[in-house]
Amino acid sequence: MRPALEPAGALGRLGQDLVRLRRRVWAPVGALVLAGLVALGLVSDDLALLDSLGVIFMYVVLTQAWNVLGGYGGYMNFGMAAFFGVGAYTTAVIGHSWPVSPVLATAAAGLASGLFALVVGIPTLRLRGAYFAIATLIVTFAVELVALNAPFTQGSLGIYLKVLPLSPLQTEQLFYFVFLGLMLAATVIVFLIERSHFGWALVAVREDENAAEVLGVRTTRVKILALLLGAVMAGIVGGIYSYRVLYIEPAGTFAIDTSLNVVLMAVLGGAGFWQGPLIGAPVVMAVGDVLRVAVASEVNRLIFGAILVAVALFAPNGVMGFLRGVRGRRFTI
Amino acid sequence: MLSLLLQAAVDGILLGLIYTIMALGLSLILGVLGVINVAHSVFIMLGSFFALGLLTLLHLDPAVSFVLSVPVFFLAGAAVYRLLIQRVQRAPATIGILVLFGLMVVVETAGILLWTTDTRVITVGYSNLRLSAGPVTVNGARLVAGGLSLLATAAAYWFLKRTLTGRAVVAMADNRDAASVLGMDVDRLSMLIFGLGIAAAGAGGVAIGMTFPFAPQDHIQWLAWAFLIVIVGGLGRVESTLLGGLVIGLVQTLAGVLLPFSWVFLLMYLLLLVLLIVRGQGLAGARRREL
Amino acid sequence: MTATAPELRVEGLEAGYYAGQSVLRGVDLRAAPGKLTVILGPNGAGKSTALRVLAGLLPPAAGRVLVDGHDITRVPAHGRARLGIAFLPQGRSVFAALTVHQNLELGGWILRRRRQDLDRALEAAYERYPKLRPLRDRPAGSLSGGQQRLVEIARMMIADPRLILIDEPSAGLAPNLTEEVYEELARLRVEGRTVLLVDQNVRAAVEVADYVFTLESGRNHLEGDRERFERELGALIRAWLRV
Repeated sequence: MRPALEPAGALGRLGQDLVRLRRRVWAPVGALVLAGLVALGLVSDDLALLDSLGVIFMYVVLTQAWNVLGGYGGYMNFGMAAFFGVGAYTTAVIGHSWPVSPVLATAAAGLASGLFALVVGIPTLRLRGAYFAIATLIVTFAVELVALNAPFTQGSLGIYLKVLPLSPLQTEQLFYFVFLGLMLAATVIVFLIERSHFGWALVAVREDENAAEVLGVRTTRVKILALLLGAVMAGIVGGIYSYRVLYIEPAGTFAIDTSLNVVLMAVLGGAGFWQGPLIGAPVVMAVGDVLRVAVASEVNRLIFGAILVAVALFAPNGVMGFLRGVRGRRFTI
Repeated sequence: MLSLLLQAAVDGILLGLIYTIMALGLSLILGVLGVINVAHSVFIMLGSFFALGLLTLLHLDPAVSFVLSVPVFFLAGAAVYRLLIQRVQRAPATIGILVLFGLMVVVETAGILLWTTDTRVITVGYSNLRLSAGPVTVNGARLVAGGLSLLATAAAYWFLKRTLTGRAVVAMADNRDAASVLGMDVDRLSMLIFGLGIAAAGAGGVAIGMTFPFAPQDHIQWLAWAFLIVIVGGLGRVESTLLGGLVIGLVQTLAGVLLPFSWVFLLMYLLLLVLLIVRGQGLAGARRREL
Repeated sequence: MTATAPELRVEGLEAGYYAGQSVLRGVDLRAAPGKLTVILGPNGAGKSTALRVLAGLLPPAAGRVLVDGHDITRVPAHGRARLGIAFLPQGRSVFAALTVHQNLELGGWILRRRRQDLDRALEAAYERYPKLRPLRDRPAGSLSGGQQRLVEIARMMIADPRLILIDEPSAGLAPNLTEEVYEELARLRVEGRTVLLVDQNVRAAVEVADYVFTLESGRNHLEGDRERFERELGALIRAWLRV
């Protein structure tokens, strides 16, 4: 299986050159940026800045979570909001009702989202092709219905959480570093996946699922595992998110904006590259910040949707695609 | 109890006819072109608002709007095909799905900007009319919507089965290359079938709007229902979609007799999950290039 | 049968399925009018790819396709049918869900606005291939492999093509059916149509050929008329089997 995935000929040589170059560039740049971010978090008292950066880190984690199955495996998940929301509701319901440590509640959120992924993934990921994509849209809607009607979620009233016993700056710093740490962890995980048998198996599924199966890749298992991994990450992020915003309700938690943002960030940065989310999330959030001043949130969403269409049509491999000079079959089922 | 069931059966069949036209486009576009149109339901939503708009602006009866929606949405669908889908036909399938997802977001959001998130209903003279025949009572709007849906479904069946162009579409679905070397312009045929699929979605939206309340952001429910119908019935054939639509219409109304309303929805979603597990392999084998 | 058969010429054809991976790397071919020309070569030499380019199904990266001197390189596949060019693809290509008659009707797609001509062509096809008459209303997918091949050939002939591209017509057929296919090929030649044939069945192909090209690794290798190849056939086959 390994040689089959190695790029051949001139393209391969070019790729190796770029890999070498990338190793030389990414490591120091990454370390520098990370050190800067840590320093910033320690010294800055600009609440708005810490908040904005925290949201970007959070989206990087969500986008990496999407990237595992969507980027490497080529299976489009348009329902990241559902996995995120299941996590958010888990900590909210737990935190609202019982005096459980937030760490435990967050672990429960990851677990709940993972279980939810199995419920969604087992029926849909046994299938080839795009049935999964349509199913992710539907489950997002279905989960929102459950949140609106289930007895433990307080419907559209939503759930309030207790304020953490910290100063505003301490609170911002806490979430800043928690999301920074998660971003680092998620990126390392995806980086390692890119170089693992699991990652190659996912790419094989993306490039030619029938061939992958013939070669002995257990495609269904690989796909479900990838969804599960992403769902646990998204669930943990969602779980922390409800402690951060202290109030969640169905419409906002399961809003299509979250799913759309994640897909746009992944595709714009470069789906199927570990660096993609690191590029896509800040760019999309920056555009969003500019738009937020200028237009209503619906117009913002409309513009993001149009950008997604344009990127998919004209630059389907995103920024990383340009950097790597990848053309042709990069992104496929 | 028996008359209750009979009543539910009649309601279910009418509902099933409406569901059939609502789901037909998803089935045709998937079966013939191999494109899973995740934006299908926004055209249903647009169909409902098309009828509402013509009613409030021009006092046009939704039955007239139903007929008018066919050419209007056909053109919209053909334009979408030319501008978006055709460009990505040779590209990997995921790109097409991303484009359609983006389109879905854009149209849904445009709908919210135009019409807000308020829930609307279409009310005409026969909306609350109750026609009785023996033990069975039928709602006027549902009868009209169901009848029109049946006519539209029959027209689609006639087109695919009885016209040479329809058979060319079937041929193209089977073997695109063989069809094109015989002289069939497969791009034009694809545009035709995409246009017809969207026309069916728009007409379905008019029928849905006559029967149910609607709002721009609630269209995903119809995507779920259409998907369910495609899975129950099978792909690409009008008669399969009719079967699926009738089954779902009947299951929903019969379940409504026995269960409280919110449980019916849950039951339908469970049905979707179970059917995906049971029927999945058949679906996967339906086409070589699934999108 | 009065229309003259065209000449097909191919110059410097380069083509492939993925960017940067050429299957054809500069191929020149010529199919003389009214003659049967065969392309031979080991697996992966690019024979089928060449036919796909000629049929308009695969756009070439470079090179020209000329019919009687007219450049048709940019004519799409469906437009080539109108120019009297037909292509019989490799493997099963009947429209399985449609009946034999409906398959034949679609063979006359370009005649669809001239219903009388189409009906006449259909009747002529049943005359020409009488075995199909009793199968008329059977779904094509339910026929045997040999019957399906016959439907494909008949379907291709409805539009009375003058230039015929055929890819592996005998692959997967029993020997007696292969013979029938080759009789049909001989008939096409007698009728004065230009035929370009690709086949793995080297001996049978050379036997009906007027002229032979061989490809190797996407390039021209040998060419010559039949006599020359009949002499060298044994050596050629041995060489390819070693490849």
